[in-house]
Order: sequence, then C-alpha cells, then structure tokens
Amino acid sequence: MSDHLALEKTDLKLGFIALIDCAPLVVAREKGFFSKYGLNVILCKESSWASIRDKVSFGLLDGAHMLAPMPLAATLGLNGNKTPMLTALTLSHNGTAITLSQELYLELVDQITDWNNQEAVGNTFKELIQNRERKPVIATVYPYSNHHYQLRYWLNQHNINTEEDVQLVAVPPTQMLENLANGLIDGYCVGEPWNSLALMQQTGGLLTTGHKIWGSHMEKVMGVTQKWADENPNTHRALVTALYEACKWAEDATNRTELMELLALPPYLDHAAKQLATFNPPYSMEQHFYNENLNMPDRDHGLFLLDQMNDCGQLSGIMVDKDQLVEDVFRCDLYKGWIG
Amino acid sequence: MSKDKRLNVLLIDDEPERVEALTEALHKLGHNVVCHLPNTSDLNKHVEESLPDIVIIDMDSPNRDTLESMATMSRNNPRPIVFFAEKQNDHKTMSDAINAGVSAYIADGLQPERVTAIIDTAIAHFDAHSSLKAELDKARNQLADRKIIEKAKGMLMKHQGCDEEQAYQTLRKIAMDRHQSLPVVAQNVIEALKGLTGMGK
Repeated sequence: MSDHLALEKTDLKLGFIALIDCAPLVVAREKGFFSKYGLNVILCKESSWASIRDKVSFGLLDGAHMLAPMPLAATLGLNGNKTPMLTALTLSHNGTAITLSQELYLELVDQITDWNNQEAVGNTFKELIQNRERKPVIATVYPYSNHHYQLRYWLNQHNINTEEDVQLVAVPPTQMLENLANGLIDGYCVGEPWNSLALMQQTGGLLTTGHKIWGSHMEKVMGVTQKWADENPNTHRALVTALYEACKWAEDATNRTELMELLALPPYLDHAAKQLATFNPPYSMEQHFYNENLNMPDRDHGLFLLDQMNDCGQLSGIMVDKDQLVEDVFRCDLYKGWIG
Repeated sequence: MSKDKRLNVLLIDDEPERVEALTEALHKLGHNVVCHLPNTSDLNKHVEESLPDIVIIDMDSPNRDTLESMATMSRNNPRPIVFFAEKQNDHKTMSDAINAGVSAYIADGLQPERVTAIIDTAIAHFDAHSSLKAELDKARNQLADRKIIEKAKGMLMKHQGCDEEQAYQTLRKIAMDRHQSLPVVAQNVIEALKGLTGMGK
C-alpha cells in the first residue's frame, strides 16, 4: 500500500497484560492486521500496570493495552511521573466481576433466589458479613481501574462501609485464585479470565458483574503518550485502524475457538486460556470487543471515572478541569477522522 | 551517621545474589534493611508491620500494583507509601531506574532527596547484576538445556518477530508465571509453537 510510505515508524513494541481483553492486540498480530497496515509489532508481556505506565511514559514501549482510567491518571501524574497520555480507540467493554470464596458464596446461595435483584443480593450480603467473626477481605488489582471503582460503587450502593465493614486489599491477579482457595482473601473484583477460572475450579462463585453494576462501559483502551501521538500521527492511525479491524474479528462468534487458541499460545495467556476454551459462565460478563458504538473512546465514561477517582480520595488536592482533561485524553476526534 | 538519617529499607526481589550485595551496600551507607522478601502473597501485612521508609523492588515484579494500591486501599494507614516518581520529577533518575529495572516507593512525606543515594545504589547494583547474570546463565546451563532454550528462543523470535533478548525475556516471564524452570518452559514452548504453520523445523 502506498500509504506505508507515510508511516513515521514501522517497528513498534506494545505492552499487554495477560487478560482475555488483550485479544485485539494478539489478533492484530497473529491474523495479520498489523502487517496489512505496514506495522511490524512485537507484543511485550508485562507483569504489572505500573510497569506498563512506566515503560510507555519513558518510551520503552510505543503504547499499550491499558485500563480506561490509566491515561487519565498518567496525565494527572497520579502515582507516577506526570506524562500526558491519550487514547483514540476503546479495545473492549466489560468483562469484570466480583467473585466470592466458595464458602461465602454457598452461604449466599441459600438465601438468594433472584440474582438479578441487585438490591436483595446487596442486602443479603451485608447481613451475612455483619454476622461473621471477621471482616471479609476483598481484593482488587490496581487503584486506577474499573474493577476497583466498581467494587467500591457496589459496596456503597448497598450501604456497606469500605473501611468498617470490609477490608480492601490489593493482590496480583496471578495470586488471586490461590489466595481465595487458601482463605487469605474472601473475594475479589477483577477482569477475565480470573472470575471464570475460579468458577471452573469451584474455588468461588459470582456475586455480581461489572456490567450489572454500571451497564455496558469502556474497559480497556489503546494508550499512547501525547508526545508519541504528536510525533507519529500516521503510524498512530495505522495502529488504531489495524486494532479496530482486529476488534471486529475478535467479536465474531464464529472465530471464538480460534481466538482462544491464539490466546493460549505461551507468549500470551498460556495455560489459563486453554482451560477457558469450552467454558460458559452461569451468566455472561458481557465482554465485547466491537459493536457500532463500542470502539470510540467514551468521554461520558471518562467523566464518570473522574467522579469515582474523586470519591475514593485519589484527586485530593488536585485542581482538575474535568471537561478539558477528558477531551484531551479520550480522542473521539481522532477516532472519527480515522474510522468514521 | 546519626540515627535520624538512618532509613528503613524493604527489599522485594527474588535474586539472592543481588539482595545480598545490595543489602551490604545499604548497610555501608548507614541504612537498615528491615525486611527482604521474594515475591510474596501477603505483602500488605509485611508493609504494615515493617513500616519501611523506602521499598526497592524489581520493576517486573507483579507486586508493584499491590504497592501502588496501598495508599488508596487503607486510608487509615498512618504512613502510606507512594511511587518515588510522584514526588520527584527527576527525569534522569527515573529513566536510569527504568532502564536498570528497579523501582522505588517511599513513605509519603519523606523528602525525596533523602533517598537519592539509596536509589542510585540500587540502580548500580541492578545494572551490575544484569551483566553478571548473563555471564552466569551462560556458564551454568548444561549443554542439553542450553540447546532446548536456544531452540525455543529461535522459534519465539521467528513467531514473535522479536530479537533474542526479547525472546529470552518472554521465556523468563512464562517461567515465573508457571513457577517452572527455563528448560521445562522452553520444551513446552517448542511443543506449543510446533503446530503452527511454518514453525515445524
């Protein structure tokens, strides 16, 4: 394609965390969408969101699979070097859930008949934990994430005090299952595959999903620094276009088996994805990679996220022009110009 | 050194030689290594109990996200720890640290200048360790293991379109995720990639 001549950079390194929603990056690489747009991409498996933030900030990575709140946090300099970041593409919606230990879950099962009645689920859960000897310990992974805010939101919604009634902790995703099984934690809120794996291994049961708490919402985005985007506009466009096509491919149900095979390759999710290939959770976490409106960065959700950050004290002492910030970070203008 | 300058350091690192060398260097600077942990499943408790002024951690440790969550998670914590870079926008130090693969977290409120020497020392030891480690790995691996690792690296390089270092890092990360040895992982990678088109030989 003659367009390739205009690319500022063709060899890229992109970071990802081994979660189901890194699928668009894996698909774009394995199914040739990156090469179709003249990009030669190496995918780097990272061990933490902190490492993704640092390596993107300091140019060791060109961009990465990021939690939707991360470009906001980086632009504000929360827990890190202040580096303006942005996204022009939403990679996925939903896919998080709150999983409880088998013990807590079974106690709830006895009392709950309609799991769709969130109010009843919340009230029953509150009653249950208040009659226990010790506060339940509930884990999340990262402070600037939907899963962290969702957990707080759900607890607050049911008048469960996040300091008094429960103990919130953080645990790396790879240690969640083990800690749930050995009783070090009583539940967690994380993204897939960690909820389905707990269900499959019968170490836990689903309390609720992120989708039930908030409705459909932006989960992962393709994040780059503002500086990188300014210096590489054509490459950025090629990257976003290739990933958009990969999102469509990943969403297509007829590709499901092949998608799980790709994710199960050792450089990506490895064994974890293999186990999931034939598993269907009792109710869907509504994880999606594409629909007509899904892939445009969502400014409303961006504003909502800033409210969540504020509510848990992450914005204390910082002056934020919320509208301007969200406009700078969630670049709908780029998306519209490139994808339509 | 006067007592108030002495800082409590928590090291999180699973490379025993590096821990030993860095601990000695920090003692020479007059600081106190309160605790050394390999990757741990109960980091929250250790941090609450040892109350470090500074935490030095391998940049690629999955425990970093846990450290970063602590300040938000328990607002009652009397001394939350924060990422060094949030307090000190020293681009050069940050860049050196990232390239050496070391990260630092400090107790909120501590003057960043007080930990500069500790961070510089950690960077130097992480740098020295990477070169030493590469030599050791070469010498240690048995010939047969090395052949398997080399083959797996070659297949990964072809499959991922990456360079040798990147392929080696991929193998190491899989080994850490699975708690398996490098040759075992290499053998699995060879099996997994063999089925793919054009990766047979």
